[in-house]
Amino acid sequence: MNVLEATGLAKRYRRWVWALAGIDLDIPAGGVTALVGPNAAGKSTLIKTWVGFEKPTRGSAAVMGIDPWRDRSRALANIGYVPQSPALYDGLSVEDHLDLAVQLRHGFDRDAARARLDQLGIPRAAGARSLSGGQQAQVALALALGTRAPILLLDEPLASLDPLARREFLHVVSDAVRTDGTTVLLSSHIVTDVEQACDRLIVLGVGQVLLHETVAEALGRHGIAAGELAGAVATFRGPDGAPLSLVRGAGERPATLEELVLGYLASGRPGGASAAVAAA
Amino acid sequence: MNAALTWARLSFRQQRWELILVVVGTAIVAGVMLWFADALTAMIAANPGCLPTTDSGPAPSCVAVVNSYYETQGWADQLLLFSFAAPFGMGVLLGAPLVAREIDGGTAQLAWTLSRSRVTWLLRRIAFVATVVALLLGVLAVTSEVLAAALWPESDLAHDFTYIGRRGWLIVARGMGALGLGLLVGALVGRVLPAILASALVIGLAFTGLSLLHDRWLRADAVVWDQATQVLEHGSMYLDSGIRTADGTIYTWSEAHELGLDASYIDERGQMFASEADMVAGRTLGTDIAFVVPGSRYPTEVLRQGAVAGGLALGALGLAALVVRRRRPV
Repeated sequence: MNVLEATGLAKRYRRWVWALAGIDLDIPAGGVTALVGPNAAGKSTLIKTWVGFEKPTRGSAAVMGIDPWRDRSRALANIGYVPQSPALYDGLSVEDHLDLAVQLRHGFDRDAARARLDQLGIPRAAGARSLSGGQQAQVALALALGTRAPILLLDEPLASLDPLARREFLHVVSDAVRTDGTTVLLSSHIVTDVEQACDRLIVLGVGQVLLHETVAEALGRHGIAAGELAGAVATFRGPDGAPLSLVRGAGERPATLEELVLGYLASGRPGGASAAVAAA
Repeated sequence: MNAALTWARLSFRQQRWELILVVVGTAIVAGVMLWFADALTAMIAANPGCLPTTDSGPAPSCVAVVNSYYETQGWADQLLLFSFAAPFGMGVLLGAPLVAREIDGGTAQLAWTLSRSRVTWLLRRIAFVATVVALLLGVLAVTSEVLAAALWPESDLAHDFTYIGRRGWLIVARGMGALGLGLLVGALVGRVLPAILASALVIGLAFTGLSLLHDRWLRADAVVWDQATQVLEHGSMYLDSGIRTADGTIYTWSEAHELGLDASYIDERGQMFASEADMVAGRTLGTDIAFVVPGSRYPTEVLRQGAVAGGLALGALGLAALVVRRRRPV
């Protein structure tokens, strides 16, 4: 069963900026799906459409078969959401946030959220303002997980975290998937972050889906060859500046997840496969 | 109870400084109002031979006391400007930032995804602030009435238009209207400072418009008072002057002027004349009249203005709920 769907989904801001250009996506239940793409690829817009924050210009979005714009209440009942910046209430303590969540969401599991925060050593009496960025992200995640929603939408929560905080965050996410069977969609533009936690990959570029497969399938079907090859998915520069081609098939060696993503992002740039892009 | 405390805590922490400012400001104004009311009452009690003053003027021995009383009365009179302005100030300071700060600070994203209904969230979110505003304005409503009673000790203020809008429960109703408008503007603008500035403008314009509307209604309620022959009902509100011509037609001064009925002289019986020669010859233009709303209409007028302000509050709250339902949280 697909828990998140997008059909011909397009979103235009103002009159001319298309954040999503008519995408089709089906995300099945379970596991962690990475939504990867550069800035302004439309990742946040896609997630916000599923949360019911954005109204599609064309096409439709569905959460467990429910249109989140038309029936936001029912759709939200299935969603836990962590925004890009945690945006906690400055003047409230962590425990106050849990109290608030209990008031806002029927069935919020305060005990589970408390246990999770205690496990991470986050003081519940502390004010949100006094927490580090990583701790704030963990509080936001605990609030989202406390909803016991079957779907967790994480909108670049790792962007401002240090490596250790990122790892801890992803550990909690993986744990939730394993123990509760939660479906997680994790958006990021940092490939190495998602590599350790994700089993499905969506590459989004300039409002279009460039790749959507399981990580294992995608890595198995692509390889890397040196130089610029005709018929390659795309050519991009490696760490030493030499051109590398992402090809369908074995190639000269297996592609890493980063190379796979870079290749597809390059293919989505103007000029497509022939464009040489700098490696990150 | 626990739920109410959680929302109260959230509301207080989100608008701590505005709330402190408003509570302290109200306490000071209310305290000073009561002090002045007490001072005025004490002056009258201590000088029964001199106060209250009479139309014939104070006796020489009372001049100092009466001057002191008038000076105190003048200051007390100014205080009632605070109770007039307080509802609008609270609407701007407490209404506008309520949703705007949540959107500006990004916390709306958290609240609007945790809560399945944004309207329920809004109602819970505004409850504490609305209660505080109602209580504070309620205090001002009472203290302003006490002060007005001290200023006009011989008046039946329940049937008196003196200080309308500066005393009594109309202050609370206006505060609710202003709070609703502030909330609506804040929800639309979504940023704190621009919302505060915009709401000040909107609230000012809205209540100016309502004031014009009330003036029209009052004119419809006005009765003609023959200034020379009739005793004016106590507490009446004077609206305009005019003239009743010999055939009984009534004109306001501006209407009379347009018709060329310019009176320059008036005699002790209220007869009006175009010139001294006409007065000598007895060629009168008509009788001096005024348009007034009798003091007995005061409760009805307060009820009407209060209902309009309450309706404005509910309408603005409904629109704010609509905006919150539809808008992006950033």
